[in-house]
Amino acid sequence: MSRALLLMLWGWTVLWSWGSGRLDLLLRNVFHGLVGTAGLAMLATGLLMLFKQRPRRERRRWNDVRRWRDLASASMAVMILVLPPEPSFSDLASNRPEGLPQAPELAFVLPPEQRTLTEWVRVLRSQADPNLVNGNPVNISGFVWRQPDAPPLLARLTVRCCLADATPAGLPVAWPENKEPEPDAWLAIRGQMEVRMVQGEATAVVVPDTIQAIPRPQRPLEP
Amino acid sequence: MTSRSRPRHLIPALNRFATAWAIYQGLLLEAIPFLLLGVLIAGLARWLVPQNTWIRRLPRQALLAPITGALMGFALPACECGNVPVARRMLASGAPLGTAFGFLFAAPVLNPIVMASTWAAFPDQPWLLIARPLGAFLIAVMLSLTLTLLPERQLLEQALLSERRMNQPLSRYSLLERSGGLVGGEGSQTSLLEGTAVATDRPTPRQMLKQSSREFLELMALLVLGSLLSAVVQTWLPRSWLLAVGGAPTTSILALMLLAVVVSVCSSVDAFLALGFAAQVTPGALLAFLLLGPVVDLKLVGLFSVLMRPRAIAITTATASLGVLLIGQWINLWRL
Repeated sequence: MSRALLLMLWGWTVLWSWGSGRLDLLLRNVFHGLVGTAGLAMLATGLLMLFKQRPRRERRRWNDVRRWRDLASASMAVMILVLPPEPSFSDLASNRPEGLPQAPELAFVLPPEQRTLTEWVRVLRSQADPNLVNGNPVNISGFVWRQPDAPPLLARLTVRCCLADATPAGLPVAWPENKEPEPDAWLAIRGQMEVRMVQGEATAVVVPDTIQAIPRPQRPLEP
Repeated sequence: MTSRSRPRHLIPALNRFATAWAIYQGLLLEAIPFLLLGVLIAGLARWLVPQNTWIRRLPRQALLAPITGALMGFALPACECGNVPVARRMLASGAPLGTAFGFLFAAPVLNPIVMASTWAAFPDQPWLLIARPLGAFLIAVMLSLTLTLLPERQLLEQALLSERRMNQPLSRYSLLERSGGLVGGEGSQTSLLEGTAVATDRPTPRQMLKQSSREFLELMALLVLGSLLSAVVQTWLPRSWLLAVGGAPTTSILALMLLAVVVSVCSSVDAFLALGFAAQVTPGALLAFLLLGPVVDLKLVGLFSVLMRPRAIAITTATASLGVLLIGQWINLWRL
């Protein structure tokens, strides 16, 4: 495969990942423009090389190592185009420790019903007494995060860079009797916070009024 | 394929593969712009500044050379992926080994973007803002001094060695030595050099495009491999195991060093990642994570193969790990 075509293939793959919205699932928003620009630059360079290429009378013999390397590289680009990322957020979260950046002031200023799940987790971690949020209205969405020895949490993933550094933030939910949801299902929950004893500790738990199955949001990762 | 459409007994295994595939794509797509930037800087440097000029006049003295290289990071702010092509261009152009290695190992930390992100992530820990650049500088000097003990033919990758010798004065290497490493030595000029005469004058835009695209595609193939390796390891190695030993001084440092090698995120954002577990680990372990990742990680191992021979890569890994462990221990003695 000529170098120009390989460069164009990778450029198209990167540009496609940017244009199709896949990056929303993989990277933090601040990097999207950078990735799109890189894809465009690679595609444009490949096209330029293709048009500027001098016609060759004789075919050059390919170095074996380079031929296999280029073939492997092209196959990988095609695989990325063909196989979209479909991570299991629950599986990913189970493999990561919980830990969020310092609570931004905004989370405390927002009325409770406007807080996202991540903001709720930040608020709860920054104050020791869960009674301060007892009875607050809750309107959140997230995926179901399976727990090994406890009921599942409703969670979100936060990223600073890409999925490699995704960190989960989860809230306990008082699920209806015998209706535990499937891991990875996306749910929107309206209800209120209640302080309940969980494993001998007073904990703020989301008590749902309504639970609605929703499709995965276009931008499922939070900063 | 979503988890709902997968057969139930296959779900855990397929979920794992699907997650590894997504992490791999995330790592790769995030690194590509930085790699492209590095190749662009290397190409521009070659075009704007003809070889045989300033680059070979950089200091060669054992200690001064890595210091100069490390300080060059301030002028070329790129993360570790972008630094590889720049360091390769420096070495190929005949820069002193110490300067090029000083740049390669220190610049991923000693640059304005990384220092600003460390400050943004840890504004309440001023010791870290001093210890990180200082530690990176010490590690770079240590690596540079260790690697330059090896003869060039045991240190540098074959194609790079040939290109470097072509750019050295005739008084240093004869024509026979230039053509293929040592006379009678293994290999010939292949890989990044293939099909291109090494010019000592300013290359034409066409030559520059040809060489830069070849360089980018070769590094890209290695980046693909490194990202894949990193994604697989981090999917099957529970991170909570590594952080479970966070409280013990020595094991916490070792665990966080392993984490830095596996996670392979860019140095410009690793401080934000470290912020997530900073409270669970010792200060020495935190610093070890921030120091080792920019020098050695799974994503970089492939990229290093265009610079160094496998033995030199192994020496780099061992020396950097030892240096980081010692610095981490000392920080724990001071801060705990």
